[in-house]
Amino acid sequence: MTGGSLAPSAATRVALPGISRLGRIRRLRRPSILRGFVWLYLVWSLAPVALAILFSFNSGSSVTEWQGFSLRWYVGDPYYSVLHDPALHQAVIQTVRLAVLTTVVAVPIGVLFAIGVHRWRSRQASAWTFVMLLAFVMPELIFGVGIFLLLTNLLTFIRLGTTAQFLALVAWNISWPAIIVRARLQSIGAHYEEAARDLGASATGAIRRVLLPLLFPAIFASVVLVFAGVIDDFVIVDLLSSNAQSEPMSVIIYTLGAHGGSAAAPALNALATVMLVMSIVTVAAGWAVYRRLTRGERRRDEGLSLGPLTGA
Amino acid sequence: MAGGTVTLNDLTKRFGSQCAVDGICAEITGGEFFSLLGPSGCGKTTTLRMLAGFEEPTSGAIVLDGADVTHLPPNKRRVNTVFQHYALFPFLDVRANVAFGLRYQHCSKKEVSQRVGEALDLVELGPYHGRRPAQLSGGQQQRVALARALVLRPSVLLLDEPLGALDARMRRTLQVELKALQERVGITFIYVTHDQSEALTMSDRIAVMNRGRIVQVGRPRAVYDEPADAYVADFLGVSNLMDAVVRTPGSAARPCAVMAGDFELEARGGVVDATGLVRLAIRPERVTLHGYRESVANAIPGLVERTVFLGSATQVMVHLAAGVTIQALVANGSEAASWPAGTPVQACLPPAALRVLPCDPAANPVEQAAAVPAGAVRPAP
Repeated sequence: MTGGSLAPSAATRVALPGISRLGRIRRLRRPSILRGFVWLYLVWSLAPVALAILFSFNSGSSVTEWQGFSLRWYVGDPYYSVLHDPALHQAVIQTVRLAVLTTVVAVPIGVLFAIGVHRWRSRQASAWTFVMLLAFVMPELIFGVGIFLLLTNLLTFIRLGTTAQFLALVAWNISWPAIIVRARLQSIGAHYEEAARDLGASATGAIRRVLLPLLFPAIFASVVLVFAGVIDDFVIVDLLSSNAQSEPMSVIIYTLGAHGGSAAAPALNALATVMLVMSIVTVAAGWAVYRRLTRGERRRDEGLSLGPLTGA
Repeated sequence: MAGGTVTLNDLTKRFGSQCAVDGICAEITGGEFFSLLGPSGCGKTTTLRMLAGFEEPTSGAIVLDGADVTHLPPNKRRVNTVFQHYALFPFLDVRANVAFGLRYQHCSKKEVSQRVGEALDLVELGPYHGRRPAQLSGGQQQRVALARALVLRPSVLLLDEPLGALDARMRRTLQVELKALQERVGITFIYVTHDQSEALTMSDRIAVMNRGRIVQVGRPRAVYDEPADAYVADFLGVSNLMDAVVRTPGSAARPCAVMAGDFELEARGGVVDATGLVRLAIRPERVTLHGYRESVANAIPGLVERTVFLGSATQVMVHLAAGVTIQALVANGSEAASWPAGTPVQACLPPAALRVLPCDPAANPVEQAAAVPAGAVRPAP
């Protein structure tokens, strides 16, 4: 017993200076005031959201007084629930429709753009890349107003509404796949395609059988980002909407929430919750699938992994 | 697997103003293990890429089994490549990687599975068919790359430093295996490497390249023992090089008499009928060391400068009276291996091992960089 108790105490004595030094560093690095500030910030920014979600499950129509749990504002109420109020119901459909349409069109165009610019390698190609990057720095409002003026003054044959929203969202979102896929193309390099050509594949065969599978994680990441981006989009869809039929969730929540209207406040909370859950589920599912797809690459770092979603 | 004859006809490749491959000609016979050997940037990889079809030659022609393939795309040539970094498809397992090219040969399902099985057995990877490339070691990946190319039964297999990424031990094992494999399948192998021991071990013939040109082609023994010039002598293994002046040019029957500093030597190798300034080359293992008092022919006296134990032999650096240092390789147990620094010795340079090489400093960038003064002997690195 004595031997057993002696050994650790000797070890402690030896290690003491190191521990105390480490401890001081730790205290310096994470002062409690900073921790408190972080918590304050989280509460400040998340509490309203949490309250909105909570009161969307309220059985009464108050948004301040809890009257018991119910799904009334989602499905139960025959007039005001998200399911039964035509405006809210329509908003969910419009959001999903725009998100699916935009993703299906913008991602393939963006991928082809990335492949094209990657092979092209000329001054023109870098000019186009610059235009692509512009979409990231340009304020969305400027872009939206520009498209609005274009459609109302010059291209008047395109009516405001779903078509206009769709066209603008595609243009705004192409840069996501273009930039993500371009980055992955650069890390892939030319040798996989050369190997495919060497083994007998034609130029297009090599793209289909080797390049696209290698690009799949990047394409998938783009799908998630574009889809979630369209669900969250407000500025473009609001500017280009024509009537209640073309107003997606974000616009309904804004107009009815800020200016009041026919819908009940808890039903708007329910709609907001639906929107939030859709975004979170899309991104979470995307993150999980991306991790799965690139598992082998991350384990044996082959210089292929690109982490727009892994955050690594 | 008949055929596999490759003819390179004045093949040239320029990138902008830079000439990567400068008009090379070669005849490679079917079933031959042919190595392109040279330092990085000598044009060997560019030559291989032109053979594979990844680069279009600026001029010249590539003829494969009598057909001009110079401008055919890679997928239209019966030529396959084993890449330096393998380029195995990471999203496919070993079996699917090997079967990749068979789709373009329109094989039945049964034939695909049979040929893939045979190819994997050939490289002894049968049990690994379900693994992903990331789950294999470097040596195993290299074998998969080999199987993936061989399963297509190409006329010519191109190998771009396929052992470069492996450790020394694995490399030695695979060298022997690769040569045995090549003899078994009987396909022409064109092997690019900067490693002279690799080229010497495996090749039927070696083409030594420098600055986009082939400097010498020959069997390993010939290239090693009878280097055409100082560059080849220096690149293939360690050579002692020294400047000398011809006193009496020789002939086929008579050795050439040269003066290295104040010492007269006889040389039977190389360009024995040369005149004027020449270079002498001798391999360290051909230099013999003798006691100072012994009477030895064709020797130069000197002092032991340093002795280095190399493992399998001992390297003795001798500073010759001609004012220069040469290396000699002696057996570990021999008397010479135990001489301390400062011991006076005689370094014998046997006439049969001493080669007279044309003195062309422009052809040898290594020599220019070293700027060795005239009359100096320089041990090659």
